[in-house]
Parts: sequence; C-alpha cells; structure tokens
Amino acid sequence: MLTKRKNGQASHTKLQAIMGNPASAPMDRRTFLRRSGLVVGGMAAVGALQLGTVRQAEAISAPQPGVPIELKKSICTHCSVGCTVTAEVQNGVWTGQEPSWDSPFNRGSHCAKGASVRELVHSDRRLKYPMRLTGGQWERITWDEAINGIGDKLLEIREKSGPESVYWMGSAKFSNEGTYLFRKLAALWGTNNQDHQARICHSTTVAGVANTWGYGAMTNSYNDIRNSKTMLVLGGNPAEAHPVAMQHLLEGKELNNANLIVIDPRFTRTAAHATEYVRFRSGTDIALLWGMLWHIFENGWEDKEFIAQRVYGMDEVRKEVAKYTPDEVEQITGVPGDQVKRVAEMFATQKPSTIIWCMGQTHHTVGTANTRASCILCLATGNIGKPGTGANIFRGHDNVQGATDIGLDVVTLPFYYGLTEGAWKHWSRVWEIPYEDLLGQFGSKDLMETPGIPLTRWFDSVTLPKEDVQQPDIMKAMFVQGHASNSITRIPDSVKGLAGLELLVVADPHPTTWASLAVQAGRKDGTYLLPVCTQFETSGSRVASNRSLQWGEQIVPPSFEQKDDYQVLYLLSQKLGLADWMFKKIAVEGDRPVPEDILREMNRGSWSTGYCGQSPERLKAHMKNQHKFDLVTLRAPKDDPEVGGDYYGLPWPCWGKPEIRHPGSPNLYSTGRHVMDGGSPFRARFGVERNGETLLAEGSYTEGSELTDGYPEFTMAVLQKLGWDTDLTPEERGVIQTIGDDMGGIGKVSWSTDLSGGIQRVALSHGCHPYGNGKARAVAWNLPDPVPIHREPIYTPRVDLVAKYPTYPDAKQFRLPNIGFSVQKAAVDKGIAKSFPIILTSGRLVEYEGGGEETRSNRWLAELQQDMFVEINPADASERGIGDGAWVWVNGAENNSKARVKALVTERVGKGVAFMPFHFGGWFQGVDMRANYPEGTDPYVLGESVNTITTYGYDPVTGMQEPKVTLCQIAAA
Amino acid sequence: MARMKFLCDADRCIECNACVTACKNEHDVPWGINRRRVVTINDGKPGERSVSMACMHCTDAPCAAVCPVDCFYTTADAVVLHSKDLCIGCGYCFYACPFGAPQYPRVGNFGSRGKMDKCTFCAAGPEPDSTEAEYAKYGANRLAEGKLPLCAEMCSTKSLLAGDGEIIAAIYKERVTQRGYGSGAWGWQTAYRETVAI
Amino acid sequence: MQVWNLGRLVAPAVAMFILAFGLLILPSGAQEASGSNPTAQAVNEQQLLDELNKIQGRVSIPDGKAATLQQPQGRDYRGFHEGALPWIGGIAILGMLLLLALFYFFRGRIRTLAGESGIRILRFNAIERLAHWTTAAAFIVLAITGLNFIFGKRLLMPLIGPEAFSTWSVWAKYAHDFVAWAFMLGVLVILVAWVWDNLPDRYDANWLKTGGGMFDKSNRTHPPAARFNTGQKLIFWAVVLGGIALSATGILMLFPFSFADVNGMQMAQYVHATVGVLMIAVIIAHIYIGTLGMEGAYDAMGSGTVDLNWAKEHHSVWVAKEQAKAEPKVPPRARPEPAE
Repeated sequence: MLTKRKNGQASHTKLQAIMGNPASAPMDRRTFLRRSGLVVGGMAAVGALQLGTVRQAEAISAPQPGVPIELKKSICTHCSVGCTVTAEVQNGVWTGQEPSWDSPFNRGSHCAKGASVRELVHSDRRLKYPMRLTGGQWERITWDEAINGIGDKLLEIREKSGPESVYWMGSAKFSNEGTYLFRKLAALWGTNNQDHQARICHSTTVAGVANTWGYGAMTNSYNDIRNSKTMLVLGGNPAEAHPVAMQHLLEGKELNNANLIVIDPRFTRTAAHATEYVRFRSGTDIALLWGMLWHIFENGWEDKEFIAQRVYGMDEVRKEVAKYTPDEVEQITGVPGDQVKRVAEMFATQKPSTIIWCMGQTHHTVGTANTRASCILCLATGNIGKPGTGANIFRGHDNVQGATDIGLDVVTLPFYYGLTEGAWKHWSRVWEIPYEDLLGQFGSKDLMETPGIPLTRWFDSVTLPKEDVQQPDIMKAMFVQGHASNSITRIPDSVKGLAGLELLVVADPHPTTWASLAVQAGRKDGTYLLPVCTQFETSGSRVASNRSLQWGEQIVPPSFEQKDDYQVLYLLSQKLGLADWMFKKIAVEGDRPVPEDILREMNRGSWSTGYCGQSPERLKAHMKNQHKFDLVTLRAPKDDPEVGGDYYGLPWPCWGKPEIRHPGSPNLYSTGRHVMDGGSPFRARFGVERNGETLLAEGSYTEGSELTDGYPEFTMAVLQKLGWDTDLTPEERGVIQTIGDDMGGIGKVSWSTDLSGGIQRVALSHGCHPYGNGKARAVAWNLPDPVPIHREPIYTPRVDLVAKYPTYPDAKQFRLPNIGFSVQKAAVDKGIAKSFPIILTSGRLVEYEGGGEETRSNRWLAELQQDMFVEINPADASERGIGDGAWVWVNGAENNSKARVKALVTERVGKGVAFMPFHFGGWFQGVDMRANYPEGTDPYVLGESVNTITTYGYDPVTGMQEPKVTLCQIAAA
Repeated sequence: MARMKFLCDADRCIECNACVTACKNEHDVPWGINRRRVVTINDGKPGERSVSMACMHCTDAPCAAVCPVDCFYTTADAVVLHSKDLCIGCGYCFYACPFGAPQYPRVGNFGSRGKMDKCTFCAAGPEPDSTEAEYAKYGANRLAEGKLPLCAEMCSTKSLLAGDGEIIAAIYKERVTQRGYGSGAWGWQTAYRETVAI
Repeated sequence: MQVWNLGRLVAPAVAMFILAFGLLILPSGAQEASGSNPTAQAVNEQQLLDELNKIQGRVSIPDGKAATLQQPQGRDYRGFHEGALPWIGGIAILGMLLLLALFYFFRGRIRTLAGESGIRILRFNAIERLAHWTTAAAFIVLAITGLNFIFGKRLLMPLIGPEAFSTWSVWAKYAHDFVAWAFMLGVLVILVAWVWDNLPDRYDANWLKTGGGMFDKSNRTHPPAARFNTGQKLIFWAVVLGGIALSATGILMLFPFSFADVNGMQMAQYVHATVGVLMIAVIIAHIYIGTLGMEGAYDAMGSGTVDLNWAKEHHSVWVAKEQAKAEPKVPPRARPEPAE
C-alpha cells in the first residue's frame, strides 16, 4: 500500500500563527518571518511532463527545485488597500507568491486578484512589441519608429491646433513617480487637458470632502475601522471591491459587536454580513442622509460641543434638513421611516461611528453633494478626528490616491496647488524653470489657468462643433497611458470620437478597448500601441487609500520589449524637446529616469499636502520593517532605530523635511494628538471669517499646541507676528527671503510655498499645525449647492419628483456645455421612463478591475467570470420570460444602444432594478470584436461593456459621469 | 500527530475567490479544474452565506473507499492524497465525494476523462517531496516546506482556516463565542463525523 | 460499514418539494421585511442538511456540478459501493454457481431421451447466431471488466501489485466503455429478432408448473413448448430488460453529467452495478444449461441446427410447426409422442 512520509509537525507549529489567536487578535509575525525564510528542499528532477499532469505545457514559471529563491516585495496593482505582494524569484523568473504576513494592511491575505498577480506578468496575452495600425492592419514596429511617428504627429498638431488639442490621459496605475512625470510633461507641453481615473472614481469625493474640511481623502484607515462601534457603508461594496478591507471590518464587527449598516440598492456580498441592510433607490443618498439627520436633530443626538467648536454653518444645514421629514424621505428613497430612524440613532449614539463609501456615492451628477452630505453627517455627530470615526473613503485603484494628490487632474498642479499664477510660480521654482518659459508653452495665460476638459467628456471635445469647445481647437490627439476606454460612459458617442481623432496612442500592458473600439470605429492609421511594464516590472512608490506610501521594488524585468512608464515618458519628452526641463534635477540611467530622484523632487515641492517627509530612504525602511507596525494604530515602537514612532507608510500629511521625522498622519483632524504624533485640526483653508462669523476653531486645538484656539495657516507674516521667526535657521530664512522676493514680500511666503520647510518646522515645534486650525464647513458657499439638496438623477423612474427636485441647470463647465437639465427635461417629456422602466446601476466584480482587459487576460481570473451579465430580479425576469443564464438584450435610453449579455436572475437586485458589472469590453452592441485586437493580445474573456448603455449626466463640480443610475429595458434575446 | 483539516467560517467568507486563485497560482492548475471553489447559498437574500469548499480530507474518506484501484492514501497528517500513476479516471470518487472535490481534465465521454485531480492540502503526491515530477502532477508541496495551504494563508478575511483540526476548531469556537453567532463548521459533520460544539 | 439506506434516496425528492414550495413563499415575505439583519438571519448548515439533505448554491464558474456544496449522499454511495454491492455480487454469483453445482449433482447432464435421430433441424440462422455471439462475447468482456471494478482490488491487485493492476484496469475500463456499444447493438438485434417468439403463450403455465421437467431425474418430463420455452423466455427478458437497464445507465455514465446530476449519476451506478451482477448470475445459469447442463443444447447456437429428437423433447410445438411448414419436403414419419 502507498504511504508517504510527511513532516506534519512543521505545519503544526505554523498553524497557530496563521489565524493568530482566536477571535482575530494580531498574529505572531515572528513565526512567519522565520518560516518565510525556509526554502524549498529536494533535488532537481528534470523530466518531460507526463500524461495527466496538472501543469500546462506552456507554463514557464514553474518553481525550480534546488534553485535559490529571492524574495521581493511590491504592492498589489489592483485596489487601494495596498496589499504587499511577496514574490519568489528564481533565476529572474517569478515562480511563486507567498503570503505577506508582515504587512499590517493585508497580514498575508489577498483577494482573487491579489492572489493571482503573478499571472499578470506572465500572461501570454500581453502586448509584447510596439504596434501601429497601418491600412487597418496591426503591424509590429520598433520603439524608435513609434516614438518618432508619435512625436512628429504631436508636434504637427501642436503647430496646427495648439497644445490644447492633445489630450493626455494618464493613470491611477502609475507609481507616484510615473504620475509626476506625466503631470509634469503635460504642464511643459502646455495644456491642462490631462486627467486620469480619479475623474471617474472619486473626483467628487475630493471636491466635496476637501471643500468641507481641507483634504479630499480617507480620513482614517482600513485598520482604524477596527475601532468602530458603528460602520455605515453607503455606496460601497468592499466585499467585492476591497476584499482585504473586509478583514478589518469583519474583525472589528466581531470584536466590538459593532453595527455594520449597509445601505445599497443591491443586496451585495457586503450586505450579506451586515447587521442592518437598507435597500434604497439609487441616486437618493442625500435624501436618505438628510432623513437620518432629521431624526438626529429632532432627538438632540447631535454633538453640540463639537459643532460649536469645529463646524461652520450647521444651522443652515438644520434648515434644509427640516424639509426632509420621514414621509418625504420614504417617498424619495423608498426606505421605511422606522428604519431610517433606527439607523440614524445607531450612527449618532453608538459611537465611534464611521461612514464608508466608494463609487456608490461618487458616480452621480450629485456626487460632490453626496460626499458633502456624508461629511456633514460625521460633523453633526462628532464622528471625525478620533479613532473609529471618520469618512473612510475607499479609493479604487492601487495608486489613485497618489495620482490624485500629484494632480494628474484638469484642475490642479501637483498637490492641490491649483492652476493660479501663484501655483505655477511655485512649481517653476521647484522645477527651476522660469515662469515665463512655462507660460510660453501655453496658448495663453488664460488657458494656463483654466481647468481642462475632464476625461469623461474627451469624445465630446472631439465631436462637438468648434464653437462649443472653449479652446483654440477641438481635440485632435489622445495620448492614453494606462486608462481603459470602456470605463467611460456613453460608448456609442465615444466611438464617434475615436473616428474623429488624428492620432491615438495607447501605452499599456494590454491593447485595451481603445484598440478594439478604434478598429471598430473604422480607424485605419494613426493609431499606436506601446507595450508598457506592469508595476511589478519596475519600482516606485504608490499610495494606499489611507494615504500611506509604500515602495515597490522591481520583481522581474519585462520579458519582451515592454518599457516602464518612466522610460516611455523619457523617450517621448526627449522627442518633444522637453527632456532637459523634465529631468533637470532627475538622474537618468540609460533611458530610465531614476524613480528615487523623482520622489525627491516631489518631496521638494509637495509642502501643501505633506508629501515632503516621505523620502525614498524612509519608505524603503518601512517596507523592510513592516512587521514592526501595529495592526490597529499602524505605529512602530518609538524606540526603533529605523522607523521609530512612524506610522506605517508615513500617511500624508507627513510634514517638513524627512530629517525632522514627522511620523505621518494616521487619522486626519485628530486634535487628541500632538502634531508630531500625527495630530491635526481642520484645515484653515477657506479664510478666517465669513459674514462676521469666524472660520477658525473655537476652543479646540491639537494636544500640546502653544496656541490654544483657532489660528490661520502659517505664513512668514504669522511667524513674525508670533515672534517665532527667530527659530528659523539662516539657510531657511535665506530660502524664504528668495521666494519672498519673487512673491512680492517675505510675509507672503507660506507653509505651502516655503521650499526650505522652515515655516512648517517652526510651527510644528510649537505644537502648531502649518495649515492652521480652522472649522470644517457645513456650508460650502463656493459650490452649486452650498448645502446639499436632493436632485433626481438625469434618467429617473420617478418623473413625478423631477419638478420638485430637478437636476442642476445647464451651464458651461470645463470648456464644454453641460446640458444635463435639458436632457432630463427631454427624458421626462418623451416618457423615457415608460419605455425604459428598469433602473440600471453598475459596479465591481471581485475578479476583475477597472476596464478589465488586464484581469480578463489573466487566465486564473478570467475562468471565474466568463460571461458579461445583467442581474435582474426574478419578478422582472418572469414578466419578460427570461430564465437564469439566458441571453438578453439590455437596451439603453440613449443612442438606441443595446448590449447582449446573460441574465443572472437574482434577488440581489430589487424589482425594477438591474445591475451590470463594468469590467467587460471587447463586444459592442452584439458584435464580438475579438478580431480587432492585434494577434494574440485579445483577453480570454470578452463581453459587452455596461457603458454602452449608460447615459448623459455630469457633476457640475468635477465632470463626474453618472454610471450608477440610468434607465434601461431588458428583453429576451 | 496533527490531524489536518479545513474549516470555512462562512460568517467571514465574502466570496472573494482568493482561495481559488491562490490555488491556481501555487499549483498552476489549468483552466477548467477547480480544486477549490466558493459556493454562495441563498444568493441575494438576507441569510446569504458563501462557503469555500475543496477536498475536506475526510476521515475514512469515501473517495478512497470506492476507488477501484486503491490509488488513495492518507498521510500521517491525515491528508487524503492519491497517485495519478494509478488513477484510471473512472469517476467513482466524484460520486462518492460529498463535496464535489475530484476534478477531471476532460469532460470525458467514453471514459477518457483523464487522471483525477483534487486539492492536496498543498501536500502534493507520492513522488519525492518538492521535485519537478511531483510538481508537474500535483503542484507544490507546501507541507513539506513547513507551510500550510496557500488558499487559507491568503484568505482575505481569515475565513478559511487550514491546519491542525483541534487548533482551527478552537479558533472557530472562540470566534463564535466572542461574536455570538456562527453558521456552522461547514462540512465537518459529513467529513469528520464531528462538529465544533459551541 | 454503512449499508445503503433507501430512505435517504427518497429524501431528496421530498427536499425538492420543500425547496420549491419554500421558494414560492419566501420572497413575498422577504421583500417587505425592511429591517433585515443579514447577520442574524444567516443560513445554518445543519438546518439546510436537515431540510434538504443536500446543500446547493450559486457559483460563477460554468461547471454546474460545482454549485452543489455538499451531498452527504456520497457517503451512501460509498456504503452501497463498498458494502452492499460486493455482497450482492458475491452472493448472486457464488450462489448461482453453488446452485448449479447442486443441480448438476442432483440431475447430472440432461440427455436427449430418445438419443440422436441424425436428422438436423435449423434452429437459429446466421444473423441470429451472430447477434447472440456478439452479445455474448461483449457480455463476457463487460462482465469480467465490470467485476474488476468491484472485486479487482480485492482479488487481483494483491496478486499482481498496484501498478500492473492499474494498467490492467485502465485497459479494462476502455474495454468496458467501448465493448458496451457492441453489447447494446446485440441486445437491440436480439430484441427485434426474438421478441415475437418470447411473448407469453398457453404453454408457459404448464411449463412452469412442471419446472420444465428439469427436476425429474427420470428425464421423462418434457412439457410442450414453442420455439422458446418459458425458461428461455425468462432468460430472454432478463437479457433484454437487464440489457436495456445496463445500456441506459451505462450511457449516463459514458456521458457523465450530461443527463444527470451527481445524485442521478449515483442512481445510475446503483442500477447498473446491481443489474450487472444479477445478470452475470443469470447468464452463468444460461451458459450452464446451454453447454454442460444439457446435451445437444449448444448446437443450437453453435452450428445453428439441432437434432430433431432434441427439438421434439424440448420444443415440441415449435417442431410441429416447423414440420408443418416443411410438409411438402419432409413426409411425416412421426413416432408416437412420448407419454407425459
């Protein structure tokens, strides 16, 4: 009989470690560290594969017994949780993945995507060589041909139409350093038409949240949610979008017996673990939040002291909220009054409470207002600035937070400096390029300071008449590096845009739907595909949702002719004659700019956001010492020589120069800590007073502050007034003086423009916060709705509510007309809701990410979701004679759009609601476009994109699209 | 001696499929073979629970009993393994397995389904440990390296537990005691003829 | 070892009914409930097993089988396969051999009482013989390879070792799967060729009453019979019905999961294996009586002709009919019929 010796005891000891102590106490990392040092034993036995083997013959990445294993660490390239990926490399081949026990974010865990990232690198469906569309056929070309062809055409367009006619679409999948180069290249090229996924992800969050209290980012962290007593998930599905975050949510829920409230039109995988599930109508978040606040104010559950000290304008909110009576809220949202009250009471009284959201709130014409309302709920109940509280905004991509911060965005230069002359001058000082030279690159000073066209509307800027596009000419060229086209709504319209472009460049590991749709649109020439490395084949830092920076090292070099983002941007800027400016202070090795140098340049300019303290050396020390950081506080012991007292990843703001060792800010706006322990007040961003009312905090300040009341942001003038300017070193004073000369007075130099870091250092040394100590704004007077109000979606089934709650009026925004009001009115007049009675919403699947081409080219993931589908309620399905798994046509409300997909009949969606995931592409209105891909680069799984069906609708503040709510009809195919 | 078991805490499982792809990654399992899968019960309704399932490495395993060529064997860790050299691909083990664990490379009419493949608890097969020959047929041998199955090690929410039955039962028990609910140690009664008493 | 439990087989049907009924009721209740607490409402494994005896859900992969999370019926299948089946098979086959041995001891070889007449009469034409022998040969292959699945590891493997046994079993499996088609064809031809002669007739009652004369040691009892006597008819129907059952269940197994889920596949196995071993027992008896057990019987399938005297003793009615048909050619030279 067969037997086999097994050393069972080895696993026995490891076992206790894997699960940690029962009830999810932190695991024993030391055990794992020891064990991860173990290498594969045994000898090499070379032999041909036998019949019935598990392994496919083409697998090139099998472990090599006996060959030494090198462990390399990078960060997962999917969502924003920031899971560390530990790679086993043998002979330069990535042969295995091991759990990353040391990372406080993921503690060894991954989701389906993270556990399969090795295949992203090895996938045989990747783009291997530069390609060009010539006479309708893809042909392989050299990098030289590609860069010259692209560069010549760009320069020709610049000559003919001006720099504004080239659109630079970058990526949240860049490292910070790649983002920064891309942003800088667009600036030096002379346009603000540069954008990335944050536009269609959390642009509305950034606008809404920053306008409330200073910065538009997650206030706390995934780990900090472990402290919450009440977690309110409104517009998020972390179980599928951020699975490893669920580890923190669920363990927190179990350990604290916490409430987990999930409010969603869909009964999601997250909802399955809720203690309270609330189904509501998509697009009615504000009514629901105001309904909750109505009960909170009615019962006096608000935090009166907090409001008095730290919030401006809550009374105006009170007035608005009074209109949202329980009856009215039930009428709008469909949620029974008693449930709204119960949820409100839980959130307001079972504290600490946190509100968690993702794209459920942001993907709306009222996205900015949604996020503001959520912040106001936190402010009213005092749930901000303490452990377990806050607006925990789950960002999407692995570096969307970083790319947002670095200003790959139509409205700002890096780090939220904006586009004002002062901002340009700040960066001209950092880049050491004269301001006049920068100005000379633009068509005009006006264009230089005017926000560009958001990527949601790129095709409108191609197809609209010239007079409707407020720039010298319409869009002629798209340079797309790392962005999907099928993530953007109104695909039938974007196909027209593709046909109209003179040049389309797609730089990506995969051809993406840009390529397949470009061919479908009839393009025969003027289209280039540049093969780009994944982040695993290069190095650089990326920012997790909680603002922590993590440095990823190169795991393996690329296998074919792929180049990393830095190389591509170097070659292109060289061709465009911008390389000398671009790399003035950045070393270039061969054709590769050194990412560490790029980060150092960022450190030198990013005072406004506190990216100044995260030197490459500190970040690398964090990756090396991951095991020292606490699971809940994310802090390392103070006595550690390398990372002592730091919070993991130095979550920004990390003030001052690296040498002052600011530890980073784990929870924003925490007055309970000293500024040098990561404490901070609300940012005094909006002035000192308005209409006679102070905008500075009253009687609230951070622990140990020498100023015990509100104070404005620190400038040289403020320092002088306080007499603290004497603390500045002569070097610091010298730098400040030089800048002051440039700005017209030393007093005007502020904490955010002082390149010496002196002002920040001195403020911190007095326990004060460089950006001041202000109040959060319940009323944001600069926004279209200073206090959010409910507005019906453009395409709403509740036409009866449109008169009372219409969408925003038509206006010109971002150089283009936004005619949402007219579209809404026309839809009501035409009775669209009758012929398209089903609400269509969209969202994530755990197996795929974004536009999905990369993940659908990963055979391990693709196998798990092989067909595009629409979730439809059993009642709707039976009315239409649709069975589970049957083919159906989903018809959209615009363009006679249609999509052929499989029906998934389920009660996840309520009656009258349908859901489609947004990761599919490669089919268009029933046509399989597999043949449009260059040979061998088509993803395993193709399918209709939901955005073929989605419709018009743009947030007036950010240009955010509205893929979370539109109307459709479904019929058996 | 440790008695290895799997336990899926369905109150933690979110159907993220990390276990599935971790398994594919570790063993390079081809398309169509799912050594592990996640099944969602009561999909879309309050009460919904997802359970990650693979070979449970049963006590007195039915697959081993019904195998007409006796190709199964149980290791000292109580891991149920088989020899692909002996397997004839008859399919009996699939009928006997309460958990749908055995997989076949081909859909297989006329009995040409190929050699059965299933979860090895990351303990591979009868060949010498951690050799190419072993990897080619069964995938990696983590147990021989002192590691546990990668599916459980990488589980996103620490829902899937793998290891010494007594320890994982204790972990589960303590979790249930702490939080006050638990939908059961799925499959234990059927696989091990015992359950985790709370 | 667990014994096959019929009750557990009925349970799924009941469960399906409960499930279907439950599904009708549940949604209406669930929809209006606003204050749902999905944590508290979690499904429970034990409850699902108690109610449905099987747990099924949804999977995203296309393999429908994967949606069955748990089917404790696998344990029953094992109980049958390793418990009941070897016993049924062993008892049926060994029992039959024992009975035949006893019978031989008691009755010896059944001789043709009148001795050979030297006149041959055609009993089975070439097509009939071909069908018979195709089926017979196929059946023997199937029987041996089939029994290998039950008894091979118990009897043969210890003798030749696991590797050789596995190699043999692979070939045995292929033989079983491919030869099956010959068997199915043979059964079909046999059915068409002989069904009319195997319908019950007026001689059957008497034949059965006298036990076909087989237990008359004096060999004088020869109840009249048409082309097939009742014993042969029973064999025929055993082969036809058993063959159809084996074919139908066999096809299910040749195309696994194409027509049945895992419980259906188990059911197919139950039927296939049980019918198979019983049929082997029947066929052993058939072989015995057609060869060793009765003088002159083998010729019928061997050469296709039988001695007239043999025919008259065993198939008097048939002989009469054949002779009536052949009247012009063969003048009646009838001897007195044996007294009964």
